[in-house]
Amino acid sequence: MTKQMVEVPPKGGFSFDLCRRNAMLAKKNEGAKAPSFRKTGTTIVGLIFQDGVILGADTRATEGPIVADKNCEKIHYIAPNIYCCGAGTAADTEAVTDMVSSQLQLHRYHTGRESRVVTALTLLKRHLFNYQGHVQAALVLGGVDVTGPHLHTIYPHGSTDTLPFATMGSGSLAAMSVFEDKFKEGLTRDEGIKLVTEAICAGIFNDLGSGSNVDVCVITKGDKEYLRNHLMPNLRTYVSEKGYTFPKKTEVLLMKITPLKETEEISEARDDMEE
Amino acid sequence: MGDSQYSFSLTTFSPSGKLVQIEHALTAVGSGQTSLGIKAANGVVIATEKKLPSILVDETSVQKIQCLTPNIGVVYSGMGPDFRVLVRKSRKQAEQYHRLYKEPIPVTQLVRETAAVMQEFTQSGGVRPFGVSLLVAGYDDNGPQLYQVDPSGSYFSWKASAMGKNVSNAKTFLEKRYTDDMELDDAVHTAILTLKEGFEGQISAKNIEIGIINAVDRKFRVLTPAEIDDFLAEVE
Repeated sequence: MTKQMVEVPPKGGFSFDLCRRNAMLAKKNEGAKAPSFRKTGTTIVGLIFQDGVILGADTRATEGPIVADKNCEKIHYIAPNIYCCGAGTAADTEAVTDMVSSQLQLHRYHTGRESRVVTALTLLKRHLFNYQGHVQAALVLGGVDVTGPHLHTIYPHGSTDTLPFATMGSGSLAAMSVFEDKFKEGLTRDEGIKLVTEAICAGIFNDLGSGSNVDVCVITKGDKEYLRNHLMPNLRTYVSEKGYTFPKKTEVLLMKITPLKETEEISEARDDMEE
Repeated sequence: MGDSQYSFSLTTFSPSGKLVQIEHALTAVGSGQTSLGIKAANGVVIATEKKLPSILVDETSVQKIQCLTPNIGVVYSGMGPDFRVLVRKSRKQAEQYHRLYKEPIPVTQLVRETAAVMQEFTQSGGVRPFGVSLLVAGYDDNGPQLYQVDPSGSYFSWKASAMGKNVSNAKTFLEKRYTDDMELDDAVHTAILTLKEGFEGQISAKNIEIGIINAVDRKFRVLTPAEIDDFLAEVE
């Protein structure tokens, strides 16, 4: 018969075959530990304001005690009206959001309608439950569809919550303290962005696993704004202002400084997120 | 003797070297409603007749021109249900390509993969070829492109092409009218005139469908009945 397109992970996807062997090796060689994953040790938040949903995230990715990426993107595109923040293992959050985004695109073609947040929610939680928590992705999913604004949290084992404001990640307690104090219904856009930024900053400054800059994404009916690096409270200067000083006996004939990295001002929302 | 004795099985060649089932599939296409495509200098237009079997059919529920990706559209002549299956498969292939390479699929690649699917169904047991020919219109980094894919799985790039009932008249008309530096609006007018040539009855926005893709935003879209009315008025 012809090859049918079946929705099962292709051979070579996550196979549990080696788990037993890994456990045996770890037990056998006391010193040999399995390589650690790159966890995003994160602060991610979301809240519902009067016109829609605001999502926020920090931008530090950690590999144990090392900062692996100082400016990574944790707010992932799912659909034009739905975005998802991811905490946990970076590869897992990216792969799972990418996969669901792809499935939703096909769904949109078939139905001819805008995607709903609950659809993304169900696809994500089914996938995570199927893998029994081995896909370590803790997500904050937010978006606006025909039924209104929605905000959900999804845990690695596949359970979900529907909330007016939510935080996840290692910095979630720091951020939640800000929300519990200052959140109220019917915030305006500027108030909402300010509150989200404060919550992420609380995570950045009080949690080791979170740091660097604040990303914000505002989703309203029919429009979205991805404010990448909305706030950069941890700027780094790379070059000493004095420039290079030659040893005393050298006669400097000509000094020309060529910046290796051109810094660009990205002022509008990034459209290349989508395609 | 002759070919008819070999027409029962898809996977058996006839003595003259043809696969008779594919010939029959092309006949099925040839008795389908006319569709055509024209590649302009700054875009592509595809159009088709939308003759419904009865006035009671809700014409707003029928859409013959479909979008495969934001910048590739497709129209067909032949069997509608076969078209639906192919559209579904092509969309999935385009999406898989995008997931793997993080790039919108180039038109030639999508055409090649769709043609490969159609070819599969000419070399497997227990299946029949698709009874549709497709006209794929797209815009990518290589500019505007128009491809025709046949039930056998062969594909060709065209500057202008037609398929279905009125194919020979339509092609002659297109050969006369086509110019290399045509603009998209001219191409739409030419497409409408070509459809009008073989049209039975009064042409209107309700019984044709037009899809365009232009160089400015590279997005494929189907024209609304209001826009088709505007073009029809200009053609009169």
